[in-house]
Amino acid sequence: MIGASISKWTMTYFAMALAWLFVALGLMVAGIGYPAADIASADTLVLVHAVCIGWLSLAMCGALFQFVPVLVARPLFSENWALPAIGLLAAGLVSLLGGFLSLGGRLPPALWLLPLGAVLLTAGFGLIVVDLGLTAWSRRTGPTRFVLVGLASLAATVAFGAIFAFALAGRAGSAGDVILASGIPLHAIAGLGGWLTLTAMGVSYRLLAMFMLAPDVDERKSGITLAAGALAVVVAVAGGAAAMFLASGLQVAISLAAILGLASTALYGCDIAEIFRNRKRRQLELNTRMATLSFASLAGTALLGLALVALGTFTAHVGGFAFLAIFGWLSGLVLAKLYKIVAFLTWLETYGPVMGRAATPRVQDLVAEVRATKWFVIYYLAVWAGTAALLLGKPSAFQVTVAAMTIGVAGIVHEIIRIRRLTDVASPLRLPTGAVAPHLLFARS
Amino acid sequence: MTEYIDVDVRPILRAGGEPFSVIMAALERLEPGQGLRLFATFKPIPLFAVMADRGFAHSEQPLDGGEWEVLFVPAAATPEQAQAAAPALGFDNWPEPAVKMDNRDLDPPEPMVRILSAADKLAPGETLSALVRREPVFLFPQLEKRGFRWLGGFTADGTAYELTVRAPS
Repeated sequence: MIGASISKWTMTYFAMALAWLFVALGLMVAGIGYPAADIASADTLVLVHAVCIGWLSLAMCGALFQFVPVLVARPLFSENWALPAIGLLAAGLVSLLGGFLSLGGRLPPALWLLPLGAVLLTAGFGLIVVDLGLTAWSRRTGPTRFVLVGLASLAATVAFGAIFAFALAGRAGSAGDVILASGIPLHAIAGLGGWLTLTAMGVSYRLLAMFMLAPDVDERKSGITLAAGALAVVVAVAGGAAAMFLASGLQVAISLAAILGLASTALYGCDIAEIFRNRKRRQLELNTRMATLSFASLAGTALLGLALVALGTFTAHVGGFAFLAIFGWLSGLVLAKLYKIVAFLTWLETYGPVMGRAATPRVQDLVAEVRATKWFVIYYLAVWAGTAALLLGKPSAFQVTVAAMTIGVAGIVHEIIRIRRLTDVASPLRLPTGAVAPHLLFARS
Repeated sequence: MTEYIDVDVRPILRAGGEPFSVIMAALERLEPGQGLRLFATFKPIPLFAVMADRGFAHSEQPLDGGEWEVLFVPAAATPEQAQAAAPALGFDNWPEPAVKMDNRDLDPPEPMVRILSAADKLAPGETLSALVRREPVFLFPQLEKRGFRWLGGFTADGTAYELTVRAPS
């Protein structure tokens, strides 16, 4: 078949991702992990992995199960792998976090949980990388290339993570200990930079152009942006790994990667500005307006990084820097796009079969943008205030801002559930003859 | 619209044979202006250069099971649109479109709504043609579920996708 059908498990991934986001926000409100604890502490590891695997990676994978088939106009290599993959990821993450808690003394000693978690996570991400990679490979153009580089970076991130997990459990030998001692920045760069950021960039090129009726960015231009970003990851990971085994410092590789990463971010900003300039649709939808706040956060992250390096305080403030990147740029973009993606997929699933045969609502009829706007605004303001609290070293103020973020996210999630349940669609149009109301957590296909 | 001669080399390839001579023989039989529609079990990249030397532009489309459909169009007679996607055979004798739509400047997913709505009003065997901005990937499964056949491809300048839909006869 040519074309794309509705991904059955995308909603399941989104739901579990949002559940993990609440877990992470709850930890921060309770003062567990950075900044109350040291950034390298076991508690911070729990927090970071709940956010990056539980929330961001699951949301991204759910989106890609739908988006990659759309990009290549072909069905997924295997729809059936998505469900076992999420089961493996959930079990792996719980096990990994259990291992960290045991490492920090919050649970009785059970360090074997770390390698167990690593094996389960590797299996889950492995299924996803192969499934999405084989699907994306059939049309390697534009945004698909970003996704492929993102998946390769995910594989590198998982490989590092698995080595760390075995090393922390004392089962990786002396080589594992060397990698654990200095490889953590490489793991973070591959994960946050290569996997999450490059994939989010690739997805945003197409979604923004689609929703704003703008022509796609010229492939050569977006190709240069990707090349700079991919090179940054390669330099950091390969250069850093080489430096580790030559027992020289990682400074050169990471500095070079930072310059390339900055260049990629600047080029991406130009590409996105071009999409906004060339758009046919003047009136912007909520998801696009909110995405601009996420782009502002990305620019802010880049500037903050530069400023901290110039002041020589980057290491001291890496937590604030990472917080803005994770919650302002990545999480903000994912939440804004979730809002639109859920509305569109719910609309297509419910009304596609009867379209043209009965009166159906528009996608815009499923959402209540005015009501939703305030939750997004609360969220972004709280993220920026939280970043400031971290940089100024005010842990209790930080907890208050995260509580505000939680209120914003709860509001957004409430809106997303209303969309999925068609709550805001007026009654005669809501379920025309032949239409079936969607299930909250998966798509009937 | 360019007229195509179909050449299916999949049986030859599956049997481990060499399809090149068959393709070249078919090429000799083409009338001026005619194109070649090739079906192969893989994307025949080496052939693209050979065909380009002989003055044919190509556009390829993946089929199920890793198979490919490739259209070779004489470059001198490049039609207005390079027809790329064709999920089923036998597109000759399609009537002129009964409905023509330009949906390029509609907000998504309005183009899809209007095409499905217009398609459901076609008499048996009638066709409609529609210009849209992007490959309507979510529309194709809906059309197929309703028994419509369709043919589509990007226009030569790549700025629009032209779709022709035929009602079941």
